[in-house]
Amino acid sequence: MARTHHPSSDTSRLAVETRRLTRVYKTRRELTTALQDVDLEVGEGELFGVLGPNGAGKTTLIKILVTLLLPTSGQAFVDGLDVVTDYKRLRSRIGMVSGGEQAGYGILKVREQLWMFSQFYGMDSTAARKRIDELLERLGLSDAANKQITGLSSGMRQKMNLVRGLMTDPRVLFLDEPTVALDVSAARDVRSEVRRWMREDPTRTVILTTHYMQEADELCDRVAIVNRGRIVAEGTPRALKQSVDDDVIVDLQLDPGTPVLDRLRAIEGVGAASVREEDGVDRFSLMLADDGVLPRVMTTVEGAGRHVSGLVRRQPTLEDAFVKLVGRSMTEEEA
Amino acid sequence: MGVAITRQWTGYAAAVRLGWAVSSNWTRPILFIVYSVLRPVSMALILAVMYTVITGNAAATRPYLAFLIVGTAFWSFIQEGVSEFATGILEDRGRYHILKYSYMAPLGFPIFLIGRATSKLASAAASVVIVLLVGTLALHLDISPLRVDYPLLVAACLLAFVSVIAFAITLSMVLLAGRDLHGYGEIMAQFLYLFSGAIFPISVLPGPIAWLASLSPLPYWLELCRRAIMHGQAYLMFPNLSDGEVFLRLVAATAGTLLLGYVLYRMADRRARRLGYIDMEANW
Repeated sequence: MARTHHPSSDTSRLAVETRRLTRVYKTRRELTTALQDVDLEVGEGELFGVLGPNGAGKTTLIKILVTLLLPTSGQAFVDGLDVVTDYKRLRSRIGMVSGGEQAGYGILKVREQLWMFSQFYGMDSTAARKRIDELLERLGLSDAANKQITGLSSGMRQKMNLVRGLMTDPRVLFLDEPTVALDVSAARDVRSEVRRWMREDPTRTVILTTHYMQEADELCDRVAIVNRGRIVAEGTPRALKQSVDDDVIVDLQLDPGTPVLDRLRAIEGVGAASVREEDGVDRFSLMLADDGVLPRVMTTVEGAGRHVSGLVRRQPTLEDAFVKLVGRSMTEEEA
Repeated sequence: MGVAITRQWTGYAAAVRLGWAVSSNWTRPILFIVYSVLRPVSMALILAVMYTVITGNAAATRPYLAFLIVGTAFWSFIQEGVSEFATGILEDRGRYHILKYSYMAPLGFPIFLIGRATSKLASAAASVVIVLLVGTLALHLDISPLRVDYPLLVAACLLAFVSVIAFAITLSMVLLAGRDLHGYGEIMAQFLYLFSGAIFPISVLPGPIAWLASLSPLPYWLELCRRAIMHGQAYLMFPNLSDGEVFLRLVAATAGTLLLGYVLYRMADRRARRLGYIDMEANW
């Protein structure tokens, strides 16, 4: 497993550390292991990404680290404090923002709700109001400051929740899918603000879970790829991309027809294959051992009666590294 | 230390404002106040009418009317307290999806919950005064503000306040286990109604239940309220006990409630974290 630390981060002081962290969910019928022996070290000042498909264990990991959930076994420390035994002291040092939810007292105005939370965190009232106005301005929400939360769009509400997470200046901020369901512009604003917030104080740490590979590539100093509750790779986005440097990455566009993904995966020399439907066509991403595999791919496609409408060879991305490690794309359901 | 207390206080004050905003948002302030007044008054009047129909308002039953009215007046405190804590915690989780953020805040979850419920407790305190006023003016109970034993009343109410809050916080945490618990706080409050000595003496309950009720601080609290306000003109549940003995029982029962509440709260809190109840998707 690749493990490289970002040179700018102070890895001598760990912001997050887990040791054989395991979480099992019990229902009446079955046991589900959401996290299995996760060992993780995130240095102070890092922006660390946790990537994985749905159900991989990302949100479970975050919930344990923010003291909402107890681990079944193992240990976790945030800012040097045990999340199980020292959770009361820890809570003033952390913050969390979850995306894709409608959190907020709809009857309150934006500024009221944010101020209220600042008081729950013990901030000086005047300083809090100043900080809230500053962050609202930076995120383009000044005009909405006196609006009731029910009147906000989901993008505005998400930005408001980001302000809630940032305003208390936590030592470690956990962002769980912060840009999910946001439009391009709002997502860009969120990413930009997160970067800016970290620049303000290099000792601040962010743990980010995301579905968006480009977001992780753009933002994160390092990422961990989680699959079925285990960390399958860890390193800088660059290092992970280098792990597929020797492969030939091909994007293949096929008109609709007989499913061929399994047949493509069965070809010798095809390291990984994923597909997504877009604009009525199937877009395959194939990782080939070398150029010599391509003719076999084309033969298989034609044999299935599919028509190739596009073929491009391109540079590897973090998504390719993810597919190689996990065996499927982020959005693809597990077989 | 001083700074920490100031911070707790400002956090509590913010939670009070939140509670007020949430509980009064459905209408204009004036209508909300009218509703808050009419609710306990109508409850007391219904009981008084039932009493009058059944007893024919005979002079011999007047002590029981006093028992009923004082019990009902102070009962609203338990009703509002217990149900508001439970409603607040479940509403914040199921409706506003924000419970996890309040839970994680350094303020301390019990302080947040107390603040969130304070406006309802204050409205309950106001309704105590209103119901007693109605009892005096409309039902001709002999209540005089100049003859109330305030030290006894305040001391008993403070202990009861602590007990009710301890019970309500613990119940709220326990209720987090369910996904569909709207109204359970009120149901629990009604359940307590039967065992508190608010409308009938606990001695009329079947033996084991009467024994259980005698472990609760509520009958002693209501007894002391009646003694402090009515000076022997209300029916007494514990006629063989002096004020001091009833007060001692209230202290002991409050201590027991606090201890049990603390243990159960810790257990329920840990269970909520173990099973992921704090941010569980729940119906509202």
